[in-house]
Amino acid sequence: MAAIKHSDAILLAALALPGVALAENPPEQASLSVSYLDYRDWQQNLDRIGVRSPSVELVLPLAGKWAVRGALVSDTISGASTRYHTAVSGASHFKEKRNAGDLSITRYFARASLTVDAGRSGENDYVSRFASVRGTVSSADNNTTWLAGIGVANDTINPVNLIVENERKHSTELMAGVTQVLTQRDLAQAVLTHVRGRGYFSMPYKYVDQRPREHDQDTILLRWNHAFGQHGVASRASYRYYRDSYGVRAHTWQEEVVTPLSNGWTLTPLARVYSQSAADFYFDPVYDRRLGPPFPPGFSFSDQRPRTADPRLAAFGALSLGLKVEKEIGRNASIDLRYERYRQRGAWRLFGTGSPGLLDFEARSIVLGLTVRW
Amino acid sequence: MVTQPVYAVRFAAMASDCEVMLPAPDRAAAERLARCAIDEVRRIETKYSRYRPDSIVSRIGAAAGREWVALDAETAGLLGYADALFQSSGGRFDITSGVLRRAWDFRAARVPDDAELAPLLELIGWDQVQRRPDAVRLPRAGMELDFGGFGKEYAADRAAAMLAAQGVRHGYVNLGGDLRALGPQPDGSPWRIGIQDPRDADGIIASLPLASGALATSGDYERFMEVDGQRHCHILDPRTGRSCGHWRSVSVLAPLTVAAGSYTTIAMLKGEAGLDFLDGCGLAYLAIDRHGQVFKREAD
Repeated sequence: MAAIKHSDAILLAALALPGVALAENPPEQASLSVSYLDYRDWQQNLDRIGVRSPSVELVLPLAGKWAVRGALVSDTISGASTRYHTAVSGASHFKEKRNAGDLSITRYFARASLTVDAGRSGENDYVSRFASVRGTVSSADNNTTWLAGIGVANDTINPVNLIVENERKHSTELMAGVTQVLTQRDLAQAVLTHVRGRGYFSMPYKYVDQRPREHDQDTILLRWNHAFGQHGVASRASYRYYRDSYGVRAHTWQEEVVTPLSNGWTLTPLARVYSQSAADFYFDPVYDRRLGPPFPPGFSFSDQRPRTADPRLAAFGALSLGLKVEKEIGRNASIDLRYERYRQRGAWRLFGTGSPGLLDFEARSIVLGLTVRW
Repeated sequence: MVTQPVYAVRFAAMASDCEVMLPAPDRAAAERLARCAIDEVRRIETKYSRYRPDSIVSRIGAAAGREWVALDAETAGLLGYADALFQSSGGRFDITSGVLRRAWDFRAARVPDDAELAPLLELIGWDQVQRRPDAVRLPRAGMELDFGGFGKEYAADRAAAMLAAQGVRHGYVNLGGDLRALGPQPDGSPWRIGIQDPRDADGIIASLPLASGALATSGDYERFMEVDGQRHCHILDPRTGRSCGHWRSVSVLAPLTVAAGSYTTIAMLKGEAGLDFLDGCGLAYLAIDRHGQVFKREAD
């Protein structure tokens, strides 16, 4: 028994030596993944939005040092448009389609990689073009990896109600982070992201939605992966802090436990806790006595101050629970099914009170995926 | 996909015949790819050489009984590994035991007597070495550290990691019989690695498949003397100062060369009990005892 423990100790100590593990590698095999997302949300037994979204992703290694990745996704969104305040009824029904695709190329160097990505996403009233460059550099012992990236997106907004025409939105994203191997069982990552947005951020299909044309966002993401000794069980914990120039402050805690079982099965339960404060210009569902909903008290049509009734900018808390079941089929294929349930309540906001008058909001998503490698 | 031919790029380092085996479009390309691995082996050889007065090993030895010597991260990591080996082997794997070389001269073929060994045994004892996270101090003048017990194996792992970082997917690094695989042969089949017959320098006693991970072998035939019909090899027990004599050779397959090499050395040092130790590891091994009997185990 002692010999078993001692021999494990030797291997673990060896794995802790700097630079003996094989570095980040280009993918060795080509892979094709297809998946199908079915998303649905509702409030008080009223179905709101449904999304059906097939997607396909292809990864091709080239010449040992390159990888090309291409992805296509097509969303069909149907249901009632977002209501102003939940007290207002009469949401109109709609059905839209969004198609998006992107192509990225990665060049792998000794201890470094560089990825260039570009893509386009289009709906009948909204077209987005985006591109990014990101790189990684690892230390000589491969225990530390720095990452940095820059991305730009240019959006054109042409709502069918012609409330605005050819509006533009431009965002620039800067990202920097570090991944550090702490012990042979622990890996930590910190990533800072700053997005500078300028342009049209309002919701064109809502009355009384005027948002500042400058929107800056900062995010801190901290991740900690821990491998437990036996059977490949691993914990993936993360915390994300978000703040933006609209005054929203949000916290997200997430925990996943990857649990490999026998015969190629893996179960991964997930829990996520979310809380956010309201935007400075969000107004509670109290309406102008003269004009009625959706107009806030004292509203004047010439008033250009920012204001919104979008519940996504209200103060609330949310809880998600999920489970992913994965099965390896032979050596070169796997199938997975993910189910996630989301509940949002005004009263669940942490570190403060939630916005009054918010209707509870619930959603669920199911993703079925298949990956084949060759 | 057309598979590329496989080239062996040979070089000498660490007093051994070494080779990098890898597929490439042509020999020049293979040699270009192998360059980083060879440079890495040479870097480690130079950094931890006993023969260079400016090496970290020489500087630690020169400061023995006096001051602390600051450590870089790599050396501190290797000392951490040496500590794990000492603890896991019941004190048999001890990187302070290199002082025994002063009494054991394999070229002169003379076995030292107890009077010669006694003062050297006083200088052995990893548990007496003072350590801080970034510095080390040998408590008595005359003590020394020797990374020879795993330096070659560590170099094989580092060299393989260098090649993997360049995208090499097939091949292996072989430093004097200690191998780290980068992947199977281009057609997906494992490499067949011959195990040297410990009593016939040109003979192969068995072959082991290697597609990933590492293979290391310790043998009593690498450096030895025969005196009065008894063989004395270079693997010395730090507690007695005497050569271990139970095994002719031990080969182990493990995920890393540095671990595989440590298992083989500890098994050699444990004598007959080495077999239980190897069985407890759960790794594939091939061991040949002093009578030539072969003990073999497939991986779990």
